Amino acid sequence: MAAIETSGLTKTYGELTAVDGLNLTVRDGEVFGFLGPNGAGKSTTINMLLDFTRPTAGSATVLGYDAQAEADEISPRVGVLPEGFDIYPRLSGRRHVEFAIQTKDAANDPDAIIERVGLSAEDAARPAGDYSKGMRQRLATGMALVGDPDLLIMDEPSSGLDPHGIREMQDLVRSEAERGTTVFFSSHILEHVETVCDRVGVLNEGELVAVDTIEGLRESVGGGGTMELTLADGDAGRFRENAAAVAGITEVVATGRTLECTVTDSAAKAGAVVALDDAGATVDDVRIEDVSLETLFTALTNGDGEVGADTAGTAQSADATTGAAAASSEVSE
Amino acid sequence: MSSHIGTVARKEFEDAGRSKLLWALIGLLVGFVAIGYVGIWFADDEATAAEVLTFVGLPLQIIIPIAALIAGYMAVVGERRSGSIKLLLGLPPNRTDVVFGKLLGRMAVIGTAVVLAFLVSLVLGAALFGSVPFADWFGFAAVSVLFGLTFTGLAVGVSAGVSTRGRAMAVVVGIYILLVGLWELVTAGPYYLIYDEGPPVEAETWYLLVEQLNPIAAYTTLMNTVVEGQMDVIMFRFGLEDFEAMTMTPAERYAGDAPFFLQDWFSAVVLLLWLLVPVAIGYYRFQNADL
Repeated sequence: MAAIETSGLTKTYGELTAVDGLNLTVRDGEVFGFLGPNGAGKSTTINMLLDFTRPTAGSATVLGYDAQAEADEISPRVGVLPEGFDIYPRLSGRRHVEFAIQTKDAANDPDAIIERVGLSAEDAARPAGDYSKGMRQRLATGMALVGDPDLLIMDEPSSGLDPHGIREMQDLVRSEAERGTTVFFSSHILEHVETVCDRVGVLNEGELVAVDTIEGLRESVGGGGTMELTLADGDAGRFRENAAAVAGITEVVATGRTLECTVTDSAAKAGAVVALDDAGATVDDVRIEDVSLETLFTALTNGDGEVGADTAGTAQSADATTGAAAASSEVSE
Repeated sequence: MSSHIGTVARKEFEDAGRSKLLWALIGLLVGFVAIGYVGIWFADDEATAAEVLTFVGLPLQIIIPIAALIAGYMAVVGERRSGSIKLLLGLPPNRTDVVFGKLLGRMAVIGTAVVLAFLVSLVLGAALFGSVPFADWFGFAAVSVLFGLTFTGLAVGVSAGVSTRGRAMAVVVGIYILLVGLWELVTAGPYYLIYDEGPPVEAETWYLLVEQLNPIAAYTTLMNTVVEGQMDVIMFRFGLEDFEAMTMTPAERYAGDAPFFLQDWFSAVVLLLWLLVPVAIGYYRFQNADL
């Protein structure tokens, strides 16, 4: 059974299409990262899964229940960290957790939950109105964990957290996943999801432009990356054109003695060195950095994120109907 | 599938109980009653406790609706604007639980405030005037609680039915102004245009029914049936209606046996309608809203 399945899910606001015919499957037990820039339609999608917003067309199921008609069956089984939420400023943090326990009819110890999300007992006793953004995020995360949900839906869980808090959030997602919880969470920052996700889906302008494993995405990037060549003599700018002419190099920036090349094909690295040597340059040093997924993410989401299916990574993306994979050849502005 | 109305209502009551605004309103309500009693005691120690009760009822018909409207108009829309409703709806409570839980929670707050005010009046009445007409007192308190709950329901209904705080405030203030400031204009005005004269004591039946539908008038009508004495409706007058008619209930103005909808008891139905209809409309709109 799929933990989340949407079929042709669409939401329009007047002329604006926020989510456009989304077909997405999140499998039971996986950690799924829902990526996309701000305004891509991530929250609108999640709001439709939670029945906060009603779809214009299409449908969605969560844990096998219809997200609209059977919403009451879903909410006791999922933990939700919504986007743009607020706490009850006059009630203590502990009272929030107790309220979640009451509504879920759960047996959790409120103090254990509070400790787990990194709030102190003193903080928990204070009115939540005094909390910082990060503390509110922790409190809401704690409320989502109440009742040991089968599925965690988290909308931008890292917002408001410092790097330390983000690491804790990632640890928490990992430990929940180990318990068998399916985790579906959104982010506009790839590096927050890449270390914990089994698969990611990339949403852009309401459409799913890629669904794959992190490894699959990496593979489809190929040997791409950036190569920094340090030349022996002064002005690297003279050789800029030589480097740029090499097939598989898409961009060259010259700064002082260095040429920074964006490489989309592994073979181009050697080619660049040869080409520069032929042109009379002496290469002093070569530094190679694998392409970050960030580059790919940017390419997928900068508007014309059209992707070829020829290098479609792994079979895991079979359930994605739209452009299921990312192709390295498109990693360019 | 169990209902979470009770859980939401308890949280709501607890939350509202920490609101300084609500405590201020309760203080105002209790304070008015206390000041009224002591004031009358100073001015006229011949007054009976029953007369004092009627006198105290006069400001209540203004303060109770205002307190209830303030307590209720942000109930649902406030959470919608802040986003706490997402935290709430992400938990098992659904929209039905939210609307009715909020309604019960806010009603409990206003109910408590009115009961407190009346307990103070009971104590002061006994201390300053010796006797307390217990039956009158109890009836008056019960009618006042119903009056408070009516306006709480109206406010929560409006709060559920709109999407912004500004609209909730506009609708609530608009309704209050209609009931208190413009009522005679919009009821007796058309009457004047149709019949070329302001409504006399024995006005047309439709007009008497319309008069009966004002919840504040309904409150005073009920008041006058449970308490010995005469309490008038406080509202802005335009001099369109017969002066004598202002102090009479619709049943008294009807020649002969009044139909059921003009009877005094129908005022209780009117109050319940002002509670239920806005809640029903607000609930329907909230059910279908994108949050």
